[in-house]
Amino acid sequence: MSAKIWALSGAFAVIIATFYIGWRSSRTASTAQDFLVARRTVRSRRNAAAVSGEYLSAASFLGVAGLVLKDGADALWYPIGFTAGYLALMLFVAAPLRRSGAYTLPDFCEARLGSRALRGLAAVFVVFIGILYVVPQLQLAGQALANILPVPTWVGATVVTVVVIVNVFGGGMRAITVVQAFQYWLKLFAIAAPTFVMCLLFIGNGGLRDGQATTLTEALPPTFTQNTEIDVRTPVLLRVEDPVWLAARGETDGEPAMGTVYWGPGTHEVAAGTTLHFSKGSSVPVVAGAPADNESWLAPASNGGDLFSTYSLILALFLGTMGLPHVLVRFYTNPDGRAARRTTLHVLLLLSLFYLFPIMLGALSRLYVPELLVTGQTDAAVLNLPHSIAPGILGDILGAVLTAGAFAAFLSTSSGLVVSVSGVLSTDVLRGRVRDFRFATAVAGGVPLALAIAVRQTDISLTVGMSFALAASTFCPILLLGVWWRKLTWVGAAAGMIVGGGLVLASLVINTISNLTGGWAPSVFSQPAIITVPAAFLTVILVSKATPAKIPADVAQIRLRMHAPDNLGLTRDRAVASFGTAEERSRLADGRHRKE
Amino acid sequence: MPGHKRIAVMSPQTRLAHSRRRARGRWRVPKLDGPGADRALVLHRRQLRLAVAPLALLFAGILGLPLVFALFPGLDDIRLLGIPVSWLALAVLPYPALALLAGWQLRRAEKAEDTE
Repeated sequence: MSAKIWALSGAFAVIIATFYIGWRSSRTASTAQDFLVARRTVRSRRNAAAVSGEYLSAASFLGVAGLVLKDGADALWYPIGFTAGYLALMLFVAAPLRRSGAYTLPDFCEARLGSRALRGLAAVFVVFIGILYVVPQLQLAGQALANILPVPTWVGATVVTVVVIVNVFGGGMRAITVVQAFQYWLKLFAIAAPTFVMCLLFIGNGGLRDGQATTLTEALPPTFTQNTEIDVRTPVLLRVEDPVWLAARGETDGEPAMGTVYWGPGTHEVAAGTTLHFSKGSSVPVVAGAPADNESWLAPASNGGDLFSTYSLILALFLGTMGLPHVLVRFYTNPDGRAARRTTLHVLLLLSLFYLFPIMLGALSRLYVPELLVTGQTDAAVLNLPHSIAPGILGDILGAVLTAGAFAAFLSTSSGLVVSVSGVLSTDVLRGRVRDFRFATAVAGGVPLALAIAVRQTDISLTVGMSFALAASTFCPILLLGVWWRKLTWVGAAAGMIVGGGLVLASLVINTISNLTGGWAPSVFSQPAIITVPAAFLTVILVSKATPAKIPADVAQIRLRMHAPDNLGLTRDRAVASFGTAEERSRLADGRHRKE
Repeated sequence: MPGHKRIAVMSPQTRLAHSRRRARGRWRVPKLDGPGADRALVLHRRQLRLAVAPLALLFAGILGLPLVFALFPGLDDIRLLGIPVSWLALAVLPYPALALLAGWQLRRAEKAEDTE
């Protein structure tokens, strides 16, 4: 019980700190400039911390360790891709995009190609990507809270949504910048300190407790380090390498089971509601599809099919980062293009530092919490690890720190996405008054919440990988070609966006159906970027070539402005849409007068 | 009080940002011609050229690693402090490499802007 109190107070402390910092800095936020671009005065280091804080979602904090636990070496590509995306951003996009002076992605599309229709289409995809990204965050928040308290999963999702919406109502971007920067350092501490302590415990215990567990280098399945009881909540298919005796209550392999069961090598089916009891030292059955023994877990993909999906994943992450609306919007808070470029370098350094820790936690959890391999809920690895490695008060404290970090991850990513989605919704769909911004915020928080409750949870990194694929197949071609290719037309851009986005959404639907009906779809449907990204690029180029009459007349001017150094003074910041009438604004300013 | 004007107190940085011209009406206004235009065009080409080398290195690294592992499965058995080399190559090595690449590119891009 005390563990729950510790963890709960950790999560609660983060929520309070988020509120307080947001409230403190939103006292000075009163104009639309504050709400949307934080007056464009954020320096590169703080902005880098804010970008990283926003970017390190639950997929990074919990998901990476979970994937390392399950997939081993192949999962190491996720953090590499998450980081390498910023190099692509720096090479091609950061400075020119900032100098273009546009504020959102739809803004950029309209400014570069001069088409309202394209702007609308871009707005639709921003909303899609945003929602696809928020849903798994909320689902994991629900799971994390359900771990602590005896509440259904929707409670946690609702709590996070409400905190985010209230905070965004308060101060928009200005408040969010400080909150996000704070949350990066919080998350780094929350994952680094427990990792150090647990590594020390691991080494201090002589490597493995009682010498019972299989070491990670043997060609054997992982073993249970203590007697373990597992409640199977969703039906799973398990792969057994070494024969195992266990006690089961419920239904296994299609037959009712009560008492001792023998599982030979092969696959075994377990129905929902079954309780399995494994004794200490017996080998761990692993969910089908994941490497079953430690040796293949340790080795990177070596056959053709794995290599193909590895490349597909790398491509999605590498090119998708530049299309994420909540990341791009942050670059507009930099004063100029040079600062935007420097921001990406700092982000790269901050992310590199962070990702060392989830990888270590993932490897540790293979030894200490192998029971998650049976249920397949490996995203819970980070939160379950402390109690299994250090029972007692130390484990409680470590668990509380990690829970606090996880809640920081839910909050920061969700608020960044809700701000950017509602910014786009309120200016492009609604009429852009303060009231509209708030209505849009409620929509941008409410729709993902409904989806998070309705849709079945899968591995978070896979879902997030899908939204990277969507971003890479829609916005990446427009941005890259828009910045660097003169002959881009709005018709080509629109066609590319529809083809790329349509293909990704189609494979998302097919993959979801296949997951519900027995998993018949090949792996390319779960990570389609290697097909959809080239398809989108090709469509953009071909259609643009076919419609040369639509090249904007002032393309030379725009391109010069994007590439001219800042000291030439060509940058014109677009006046961001002003929210509300003069009276409305002065009422919001709370009696204080500010020059705009 | 005639002769007194109310002024907003703000940080020098904020004043700087506010004093920068902001387009209120149609956005596509600025004109650039003569030597300025030539200079910007040269820069555009040069930045694009500069980006080629880091991009090639990045692709060589990222696309090369899976190939190296596929071609030399023996890497899993070589240990450094008990950790397989293939893990070190995936979990540690890419990050300093990425940061170095980015820092190098940043310096080159800024130098191009300063000298041109």
